[in-house]
Amino acid sequence: MASEDARYRQSSQFRLWSFSPSQLAAAREKTNIQAQSSIAARIASTPNTSAPTSNANTPDPDGTPSLPDFLTPAEEAVMVSFYVSELLRAGDHAEVGEVVKATGAAFFRRFYVTNSIMTYPPHDMIIVALFFACKAEGIFPRIGEFISKFGRDRPEEILAGEYLLCQGIRFAFDVKHPFRALKGAAMELRRLGDIDEQRINNAERRAREILGFSPLITDAYFHYTPSQIMLAALSLADRVLAERLISHTFHYVAPPSDSGPGTPMATGDAPVSRRDVKVEDKEAIIGSHIRDKVLGTVLACRDMLAKELPERREHWGNKVVYKAQIQPIRKKLNKCRDPDRWNLVELQRARREQAGNRSDSEDDEPEENPRSLEKDAAVFGDALPAKRRKVVKTEDPFGPPL
Amino acid sequence: MAVSPLVAPPADALHPHPHKSASPLKRQASAVPSSNGTPALVRPPGQDIQAGLSMSLDQVEQMNEQEKRKYIKDKKLGEGTYAIVYLGKSRHDPTQQVAIKKIKKQKEYRDGMAPDAVRELKYLQELHHPNIINLLSAFSSKDQNLNLVLEYLPLGDLEALIHDVNHVRYGAADIKAWMGMLSRAIWFCHANRVLHRDIKPNNLLIAADGEVKLADFGLARSFADPGHRMTANVITRWYRPPELLFGARHYSGAVDIWAVGLVFAELIIRAPFLPAENEVEQIALICKNIGTPTEGNWPGVTKLREYIVPSEVVPVWERSAYMTRFGAVGVDGVDLLVRTLALDPRKRITAHEILEHKWWRTDPKPTRKEDLPRGGGGEEKMGSDLKRRPGMDDESNPRGAKVARKLDFGAGK
Repeated sequence: MASEDARYRQSSQFRLWSFSPSQLAAAREKTNIQAQSSIAARIASTPNTSAPTSNANTPDPDGTPSLPDFLTPAEEAVMVSFYVSELLRAGDHAEVGEVVKATGAAFFRRFYVTNSIMTYPPHDMIIVALFFACKAEGIFPRIGEFISKFGRDRPEEILAGEYLLCQGIRFAFDVKHPFRALKGAAMELRRLGDIDEQRINNAERRAREILGFSPLITDAYFHYTPSQIMLAALSLADRVLAERLISHTFHYVAPPSDSGPGTPMATGDAPVSRRDVKVEDKEAIIGSHIRDKVLGTVLACRDMLAKELPERREHWGNKVVYKAQIQPIRKKLNKCRDPDRWNLVELQRARREQAGNRSDSEDDEPEENPRSLEKDAAVFGDALPAKRRKVVKTEDPFGPPL
Repeated sequence: MAVSPLVAPPADALHPHPHKSASPLKRQASAVPSSNGTPALVRPPGQDIQAGLSMSLDQVEQMNEQEKRKYIKDKKLGEGTYAIVYLGKSRHDPTQQVAIKKIKKQKEYRDGMAPDAVRELKYLQELHHPNIINLLSAFSSKDQNLNLVLEYLPLGDLEALIHDVNHVRYGAADIKAWMGMLSRAIWFCHANRVLHRDIKPNNLLIAADGEVKLADFGLARSFADPGHRMTANVITRWYRPPELLFGARHYSGAVDIWAVGLVFAELIIRAPFLPAENEVEQIALICKNIGTPTEGNWPGVTKLREYIVPSEVVPVWERSAYMTRFGAVGVDGVDLLVRTLALDPRKRITAHEILEHKWWRTDPKPTRKEDLPRGGGGEEKMGSDLKRRPGMDDESNPRGAKVARKLDFGAGK
């Protein structure tokens, strides 16, 4: 029977969306660089199209547009955090539950690991993430009703982003949260019998408040398991209780050898008895070594959460902070965003048109038009880049030839 | 199937070739008519966007493209209102056959990705077990349709085997093998806090090696937090437990267990045990064949909002009464059956307890899966099994009368 740990390792959260800090930083760096080069190429190729708001690509005297300043990975990270705080506010406003908000925030953060803030519009994607989080959590609101809560009246904007989001989160819709674990921890603490009820209630309330904000606006979900996040939040709420719970769980102390004073302890060359193996098992599962490891991990997670305690909601919503820290990046963003992908409705329309134009679309019905394997191979196969990706010559700045 | 998002895209992904076009047709469309050579300064915005898009795929689109290209779509196996199913194979290993289930856009659901697709994908991504249909991959095709790549299960389903009385013969050892596989599947779902909510013989598909696989997670959901309301409109009627028929909004894995019990009964008698025409009749059949739910055998049942039973109260049947009809599986088998059909869901056996039941350890031993009887089934069968809308059957299906009520999508908020 698979242990709970083994089953967690099967989850998409672990398989697809858990990283070490350096892996995550590398992925974001790569996303940022790719977005820069693709937007730069796009701007260079269409000098005559005025980008939505920008005058940065006004042709210079040589006729080549100058490139805008791009966001750095650090600036992108600030924007992701800012928009997560906006998403949580939107969730409060729409009165969705804590799990839906948390799932929405996780979707949004996952989406912007492999997509740049410069590529797809975050102000639309927070609503998309929240809407799809409802669905992923088993609530299926009507789109029109849902967006009207945010004063929006164009459902197509959100629906156009839904598919994009699903693809960006790699079709993994299950997000594992620490909320239930917290409930379990509180029950476990009560069961110990010697802790003041009010103290447990206070700790649980504060920890829940932390879970509703701190792990969502930081990278905690990428680096830690739900139970580690829960213990870190509990530790911020009441450190003694959290550590009591950990020591209570990982309580195993190897008994002193009971083989009598005359017999030496089993040495390496002595056959290992059945009892010894069991002791080692217990030691490996609930022993002091594991306890220290868990304490260390929880502490690291705690440090991460401590940077964004729930009081920081004020910070992210503050107008002065906005003017000083967010607005400059937003202005920069307005000049360097992807002109092709910023308008989700247009993007979807163009993508569909592209699909419709392709005579060899994979959506042909093979039955009506039976194809040989070779032809199938051409649709999906290695021949694809050479066959279909026709190289288009650098465009004449004044349009195509007559 | 560890598919890390960090998997490196092809080397050129880091340096996209902006001028590569995916569509040779594109340039024709964007030709600007001009008779005197005057440069066109502004092109229509739509074309502009399209021109840009043809140039590059972003990182995620490239990953999607890689996923898609792992498989070759072959012939169409079937088409329903919910999906089109294709036979396909792995490009890397052409002997590995797969079923590609392309989810159709639904006209009646206008709020984006349909609920059944969301649920099915959500749970199949997480549940990997020998007795649960394996999701190998998911990708989107260019027209933004969702495609699920599933393991190919060519031997039809349990329903076809059960009802093909003229060609398929089987005995107690075979039933034990099939029930064992179903029980492990449902234990795994429940251990992962997932309710399947549509267990029935035609959702139990059979692999080439005889292994039974639970499929169709379009009605599945996670266990709710205590106090959270769920819809009662789940599980195909003949397999629906009394608590759901009485409108319970708080329920547990016990709803699946009842359905497991009815599959068990159907395997033995080779006909649906409680085939009612409507819900009122379904309750009546339960009362008649199992016993009338009362405060005595199920404390609290009369408080359920749709509790109504025929006036003539039938006492719960003893085990001995089942022996005549279900005795083929022996005393221990009947004991297990009766425990799955406990009226009070709190007294119903759990999936974990089923696996510990003594029936598995008494003779006969379960048949090895390779030696299990096989029916016709085949390609067409998997096509029709997978294309169905969960909880509902196509009208062409002769068993269409027993469909689950349509889900109330707004409920349970």
